[in-house]
Amino acid sequence: MVWTETANRWQILSIAFILSVIAQGSFGAIATTAENTTENKLSTSSNVSLNELSQEVTAPPAALTITGADVPWDAGGVIKVSWQPVAGTTSATKWIVEGSEVVEAGQGPWILVTEVPIAETSAVASKLNVDSAYFFRVTAVSPNGSSAVTMTKTAVRGHWNFFIGAKMPLFCAILFVCGCVIYFILAARRGQPMKVRRIAALEAIKDAVGRATEMGRSILFVPGIQDMDNIQTVAGLTVLGNVSRTAAEYDAAIEVPTSRSLVMEAAREAVQASYLAAGRADAYNADSIRYITDEQFGFVAYVSGRMVREKPAACFYMGCFFAESLILAETGNSIGAIQIAGTAESSQLPFFVAACDYTLIGEEFMAASAYLSGEPDQIGSLKGQDLSKAIAAILIIIGVVLATGAAIAPQSVLPAALQWLKGMLGS
Amino acid sequence: MRIVATDCGSTTTKAILIEEKDGVFRQTFRGEAPTTVEEPFADVTLGVANSVTELQELSGYKLIADDGTIIRRKNASDPDGCDLYISTSSAGGGLQMMVAGVVREMTAESAKRAALGAGAIVMDTIASNDRRKPHEQIQRIRELRPDMVLVSGGTDGGDTKKVIEIAELIAPARPRPRFGGEYKLPLIFAGNKEARPTIQRVFSGEGFALSVVDNLRPTLERENLGPARERIHDVFLEHVMAHAPGYDKLMTWANAPIMPTPGAVGDILQTIAKGRGINVVGVDIGGATTDMFSVFGGVFNRTVSANLGMSYSISNVCAETGMDNVLRWVHLDMDERELRNRVKNKMIRPTTIPQTLEALVFEQAVSREALRLAYIQHKSFATTLKGVQQQRTVGDAFSQKEAGGSLVDNMALDLMVASGGVLSHAPRMEQTALMMIDAFEPEGFTELAKDSIFMMPHLGVLASVNPRAAMEVFEKDCLVVLGWCIAPRGEVRAGRPAFDFTLRRTNEVVAQGQLIGGEMRLVRFGHGEVGMLEVRPERGLDMGAGPGEPVTREVRGGTVGIVLDARGRPLKLPTSAVERRACVERWLKALEVYE
Repeated sequence: MVWTETANRWQILSIAFILSVIAQGSFGAIATTAENTTENKLSTSSNVSLNELSQEVTAPPAALTITGADVPWDAGGVIKVSWQPVAGTTSATKWIVEGSEVVEAGQGPWILVTEVPIAETSAVASKLNVDSAYFFRVTAVSPNGSSAVTMTKTAVRGHWNFFIGAKMPLFCAILFVCGCVIYFILAARRGQPMKVRRIAALEAIKDAVGRATEMGRSILFVPGIQDMDNIQTVAGLTVLGNVSRTAAEYDAAIEVPTSRSLVMEAAREAVQASYLAAGRADAYNADSIRYITDEQFGFVAYVSGRMVREKPAACFYMGCFFAESLILAETGNSIGAIQIAGTAESSQLPFFVAACDYTLIGEEFMAASAYLSGEPDQIGSLKGQDLSKAIAAILIIIGVVLATGAAIAPQSVLPAALQWLKGMLGS
Repeated sequence: MRIVATDCGSTTTKAILIEEKDGVFRQTFRGEAPTTVEEPFADVTLGVANSVTELQELSGYKLIADDGTIIRRKNASDPDGCDLYISTSSAGGGLQMMVAGVVREMTAESAKRAALGAGAIVMDTIASNDRRKPHEQIQRIRELRPDMVLVSGGTDGGDTKKVIEIAELIAPARPRPRFGGEYKLPLIFAGNKEARPTIQRVFSGEGFALSVVDNLRPTLERENLGPARERIHDVFLEHVMAHAPGYDKLMTWANAPIMPTPGAVGDILQTIAKGRGINVVGVDIGGATTDMFSVFGGVFNRTVSANLGMSYSISNVCAETGMDNVLRWVHLDMDERELRNRVKNKMIRPTTIPQTLEALVFEQAVSREALRLAYIQHKSFATTLKGVQQQRTVGDAFSQKEAGGSLVDNMALDLMVASGGVLSHAPRMEQTALMMIDAFEPEGFTELAKDSIFMMPHLGVLASVNPRAAMEVFEKDCLVVLGWCIAPRGEVRAGRPAFDFTLRRTNEVVAQGQLIGGEMRLVRFGHGEVGMLEVRPERGLDMGAGPGEPVTREVRGGTVGIVLDARGRPLKLPTSAVERRACVERWLKALEVYE
């Protein structure tokens, strides 16, 4: 059976070859076509099939032309390679696209860029060196072998562009967010009332400081265990400014142990500024803000021990916390302190919520600065961001609904709508 | 048993006679005479004797002896005299106090609560965080002339430094008392027990009569107002009353300690709330001040809104709320300029009463705003304790409630009692009912009543010696039940159904129907009648059992009846003046307020 099929194929190929010879007129013409595929010209469709049949014995035809062009609106290093295949059918299965960087001494080695199905007529070469020149070549590949290579005539460069076109939706989103923020800032400056919902944890700061004052005990403030490069530490120090100002007004003692030396310096500045603002510069004590250790559990051991010995009446945990969150919060709870925590670490939030009196959750913590200061610029900015987040949330809901619908009813318009949404969002 | 009770006010002394007949105590007669605490009489007992003489003339019993004293019965068959004499006093401005504490929202607030609960007017509150510089605080202390000072601060074993600092502000400032140069200013210390020796040393100099009681806040989780309140009453009698003209004699007449009038009102409301197991709000709107009392969950609170009143303070009410807010309750076309003149005239001639319908409508509109503002102040003061540790679970992640929330809950309110000229002496009871409903916005089922002849002070003192008599007289003679207000909580939609109702007396349907959003309806249900009212609110509206859930409750009839209010809560009036006026007119007609 196998033998019969092979024999038949050879018979067909032989007939085709003879017919091709008759049609072309000479064997020499056939040879020229095979060696110079870029110049290949076919006169009629019947001739094409005969020609291809004759070539398929060894290899598929090469592409007619190949060009390379810089992809516009990108970050550079990306070139689109396009070629014109030989018209008609072919048994070739794929194109191999290779590139070679132009170096001083000439062309470098040919490196595989990509392999694409035979139906494709273009490919994108990415991750190239920005502004380096490249030659490209394509080769058609069939089970019988490869065609001759077709190479670009000139070298092409992938230029760096000022604007990346694929990021256009993102750009529009940024414009919208910035527009919202600016609008609300200006509106707040004009005196337009901006309602910010009450955040119990921030309202309770006075209660906590008052408790410490009435009980004649200190206030403990832990600004997390991360350094100043962590945004949560920065947010924590903003809250520290407010807490220390209230403490200065109530004449309560505040203690700030830190696990990073830079945080200690920043905390000292924040507390000093608050005491100055409260008109109690004389009451500021730099020694109450001290560096303990970078070691996570060394720091926790110190703070826990201090809490058990000194029994502060109010404990604040504001910043980035990890495994120590529950240890600190449980220790504070056991000594009867009012505890207020704030972190964006979602894995630690349940511990704080369960063990503390009040907890600032994620965004609340980041919004604390605007909430506490009440400055129009900050409040307006908060409002603008909130509107953007609300729109993002609506888009997520729409996306979820469309994706679910598309999965349930793939024949409906929902998949197309989902694709449109994805495209619009630049994904 | 025969009981004579007097209330010595600033201008009049009111006497009532309470008698036990057929085993039931009833108030039978009432007498009134000018108070004689000021010169030329300068003896409060003269006014008391005059008012009791009027009782004597009306009742036919001989109550006043030839020497002007009140006659006591030797036994139950004795035809003359009384078995018990009691009195309250607010003459000469009542009890005026200054209070101090460490943190304004904690111990200072507890001190204020103790003073107000004892019936005092709090002139000022000094605290370490009251945003005043020490010299400003000293200046203020020197300016005040209180009858008494209450100092608190620090938990037991807590802060002593700030407490002593406060004491060291007050001692050298040497506030002068209202009465006499030789009078030692009573000072009660109810703070950290560890600070007592130092406090005694600080106030050991002349000029202060120091007394020490248990800490108002032994821990921040517990408020202990009882000892301080009792001490305030004692000091009021020993020092303040003893220096007021004639009070030394009056104290020997009385069978129970003389109480400040507002303190006695508070006591009777607490007795009623405890006896019936209900939540009560009481209001007494006067010419210069408005007193608010509340008992929610057994916790008593009193506030005095010093600048909200219907004569001396009427101008302040209009300034504070704005004329637009006053006029929103008016259905007649009024000239604002003329109204401003009317306000000023009332202020300089406080005893005038409205002579025209227009004047009456305007005065009642002002009263709504005065009551509303006083209630807002009361709600912000009657709170849970601040600075208290909270217990949380993970379920509280998104619902962390703050400490210090208001205790006043209109849905939980069962009884509202009104007193004071504009409410008690309104030409029609419907006017009193609507003023209360508009100002307080009661929710769910609320019974409305008014104090018939401002008898609550007498009954407050009586409750301390004979609680049964006080309760019986309160229920039968003191309270004039106006009726019930039935109002759902939530926003109603105009023109859409708000709730259905069915009122049954035994098995007979007295009234039933449906109320549309924004509508009010009056169902006449006479005094003494008892029925079951079933209310089925629409989705989103709450009658006390949750949104959309029907509620059936027993209601008692009253002079007005049952007011069905489908205006929604919080109450919103149309913004357009024309629409608003039409709306108010509809409500007034529905309740037959001015007809």
